[in-house]
Amino acid sequence: MKVELYHQAVRAGLTRRRLLQSGAGLGGMAVLGGTVLGAGLAPRAARAQSDLRAEILKIPGVGMGSPTDADWQKVGEMVLDATRANVAEGEFAGVELTFMGLNNQNLHNFLFRGFLKPWEAYTGARINWIDLAQADYNARLQQSIATGTVDFDIIEMGAPFEGDVLGKGLASEMPDWVKAQIDMDDYVGYLKAPVGTWGGKTYRISIDGDCHTFAYRKDYYDSAEFAEAWKAEGDGSDWAPPRTWAAVQAHSKFLKGRKDPLTGLDAHGFLDPLKGWGGFGFYFLEDRATAYAKHPDDPAWLFDPETMKPRVNNPAFVRAIQEVMDIMDTQPADQINADPGTTAFQQFLAGTGGMLTWWGDVGSSARTSDGSVVGDVVGFDILPGSDQVWNAASGAWEDRANEAPNMAYIGWGVYVMARVDSDAKRQKAAWSAAAHLGGKDIALWMSAYPSGFQPYRNSQFQYDEWEAAGYDRAFIEDYLGSNLDSYNHANAAIEPRIPGIFQYYSVAEDELAKGYAGQYKSAQETADAIAAAWEKITDQIGRDSQIALYKASLGL
Amino acid sequence: MSAGDLLHTVTNDNLSAQRVALGRWLVRGSAAILVLVAAAQGAQVAGLRDFGFANWRPTLYAYALWSVCLCWGQVLMRGEQGKRVLFVLPAVLFVLSMAVLPLIFGLGIAFSDWNLASPTGRKFNGLANLAQMWADPFYWNALKNMVWYVLAILPEYAIAFALALLLNAEIRARKFFRVAFLLPLMLSPVAVSWMVGKSMMEIRFGPLARLARWAGWDSPSFFGSPEMARFMIMAMDAWTFIPFMMIMILAGLQAIPREVQEAARVDGASGWRGFWEVTFPLMLPVSLTAILIRIIFKLKLADIIINVTAGGPGGATDSVTSFIFREYRDRSNVGYGTLLAMVYLVLIVIAMTILMKLADRWMRPKY
Repeated sequence: MKVELYHQAVRAGLTRRRLLQSGAGLGGMAVLGGTVLGAGLAPRAARAQSDLRAEILKIPGVGMGSPTDADWQKVGEMVLDATRANVAEGEFAGVELTFMGLNNQNLHNFLFRGFLKPWEAYTGARINWIDLAQADYNARLQQSIATGTVDFDIIEMGAPFEGDVLGKGLASEMPDWVKAQIDMDDYVGYLKAPVGTWGGKTYRISIDGDCHTFAYRKDYYDSAEFAEAWKAEGDGSDWAPPRTWAAVQAHSKFLKGRKDPLTGLDAHGFLDPLKGWGGFGFYFLEDRATAYAKHPDDPAWLFDPETMKPRVNNPAFVRAIQEVMDIMDTQPADQINADPGTTAFQQFLAGTGGMLTWWGDVGSSARTSDGSVVGDVVGFDILPGSDQVWNAASGAWEDRANEAPNMAYIGWGVYVMARVDSDAKRQKAAWSAAAHLGGKDIALWMSAYPSGFQPYRNSQFQYDEWEAAGYDRAFIEDYLGSNLDSYNHANAAIEPRIPGIFQYYSVAEDELAKGYAGQYKSAQETADAIAAAWEKITDQIGRDSQIALYKASLGL
Repeated sequence: MSAGDLLHTVTNDNLSAQRVALGRWLVRGSAAILVLVAAAQGAQVAGLRDFGFANWRPTLYAYALWSVCLCWGQVLMRGEQGKRVLFVLPAVLFVLSMAVLPLIFGLGIAFSDWNLASPTGRKFNGLANLAQMWADPFYWNALKNMVWYVLAILPEYAIAFALALLLNAEIRARKFFRVAFLLPLMLSPVAVSWMVGKSMMEIRFGPLARLARWAGWDSPSFFGSPEMARFMIMAMDAWTFIPFMMIMILAGLQAIPREVQEAARVDGASGWRGFWEVTFPLMLPVSLTAILIRIIFKLKLADIIINVTAGGPGGATDSVTSFIFREYRDRSNVGYGTLLAMVYLVLIVIAMTILMKLADRWMRPKY
């Protein structure tokens, strides 16, 4: 869970009368009261599964302040039964492992340290830590790989880097006992194979989920004034939250020149980030393109898996770029200088703009951030769809409704490096440590308290557990529901897990910026420039190896 | 040693043949060890034979040993003269290790195809990177922007000079203003970009945007058009660094004897002529130094651009450094990024040499 979300929930939990009035409130009180008792109790070996999950959520208890290292250790101790089932006490005595991960917001590695302390005490292994800032992560990882100086045994890594690591044979294949220990069947749809697998082998323990969802202003669609005007000027459809990109376009044009019902300032429609964001900005063009470009019968949508020929200049992407260009004059002034951070936090949450696509942060921040004014008027959905989809195989548009939620960045996972494989004891130790962090019950705690991770298992969406722990059901359903529908969508667009994927995104941002600034004659010319730059990157990295790795990542 | 040199000799050297021989063997022996270790490591890397080296540290240690022996050997072989050499030799070795050798390695990388994501690693590709640079519109665009950025130094200099004249005059609270005017220089450009570029110029709530609206600009956009965005970047950079030029010029002004101006006044020079014919020429050396140093600062301009515009809109604010940053860091294109930096270095060296020659000519007294 994100820190802000937790704090808001805590604030809400402490002040909300509704909590005390409802049955759930009684449950919440029991939680708050039970924390003192629960905190002092040693975990019972034969604790029933449901009891364990309820007990975990009491550490430290909603409303009892932010968790500390002692709490993380307590949680680590409570979920140790899974390890005990596969590892004897002291089995890894003398083993030393190095874990490389992030230190964002004092989370990630900081939690892992606490979680793994009881594991270290039980197994006898010792873990050394390499903490990295997010900004240093990519460079450190790439340099380690390129210079052959992989100096870590376990790594916290995003799936987009799987091409760089798994594709080069640097990771250790997951043993079957680990698959059973972490209950991989519980993963949400898109995190199941082929994500986390390479060439049919499984490598990744997921600890996080990621996707883009669609956020819109409910008050725009509740506005009688807008509804009336739309009836007079619109295309005859209902004035309701858009379900397709065509509707997004129409609504954006319609809203130009009107006044925002909340702020009284100018109303705007969809907010496109027109400035790059270190590669991450390209995800937002993808949001617009996936419904057109991701055909349900074809797992590939960004490159042709047989040739690595970019699809970024096919009619689907060109249409998405054109649609961005078509409503540029409806955007706030200076939008050419707005990156995704601006559109989400300085514009949408601050009351500018009616629609946006983003990660779950916007959902949580809408209610929790002090800078947000839209907490009560924001609604969520999966990304808009389309009434046509491009069929790359036939090279023609198909008239059919299509949706393709963009699983942007896919989420963090824990991977074990192949360098432990030469020593069976080290290998088992590394996988045991990774499995400890990727367990089903610890996942519930990580999604309920500040951890930096989003839910990624179906079992994390059992709203009764959250309610019993003291959370407001409506709040938590609002936050989690839009993600769940995206995660389990049958036509989810998974990004290519190939080496250098962010190089492609980064250069695309540069070319898109030129296109948006009018330096190319058309959307097609802009898309062609991106495709040409992508071809160069593919040739530089090695076309044959990219084809092989892309196919492997798609499970072909 | 000549008799003249003896005047500066503290002790008269009586170097024994054994001592000289020991020094010679120290230097030669350590050099031989260095060559042997480096050759062995090179052979291992080339795949000729495995000597069991895990990393390049043995060569580093051999280099350190050779450096120490070389310094020590100078004293043993050359006595007092060797001690004199010791004042310079460690610095030479340091520069060699930290600047010259990396530069040579850098050149090797610059002429390589090396994308960190490529499974084949680094490959020598001759002049291909140079050809790619020649056809790269982003690089030329960034170079063109740099010309604009550097030209902006001229108005910056005029403002700095004016401020320095003000602060040199007998005004109230002069010390306060001197400190106050210096404050922007004490700020990190990253802080300036967030504080000014991202906050004060935020189009909806930023105080500068509110001021612009109050002044009649309906929808202020500070980074919307290429020209405006470039000007704003220049303005933020100027705000940070004008105090630097100002303080240098102020120091120069304070060094001019008051009598010179008094003499000009006695000769009937007006205020303007006194400045233009007397103060300004006397300030030329300081001015040119300030401008040259400012150019060097300007050529490194990247932080404000990366934070505020990321080079946009459409590359209008891109500097060479911010482009190299994207190429090298975001795209892991180490070979090409290094070549761009090397070419930039060569361009800077040539431009600065020409500028310094010209400055030298301008500064020569005409009277």
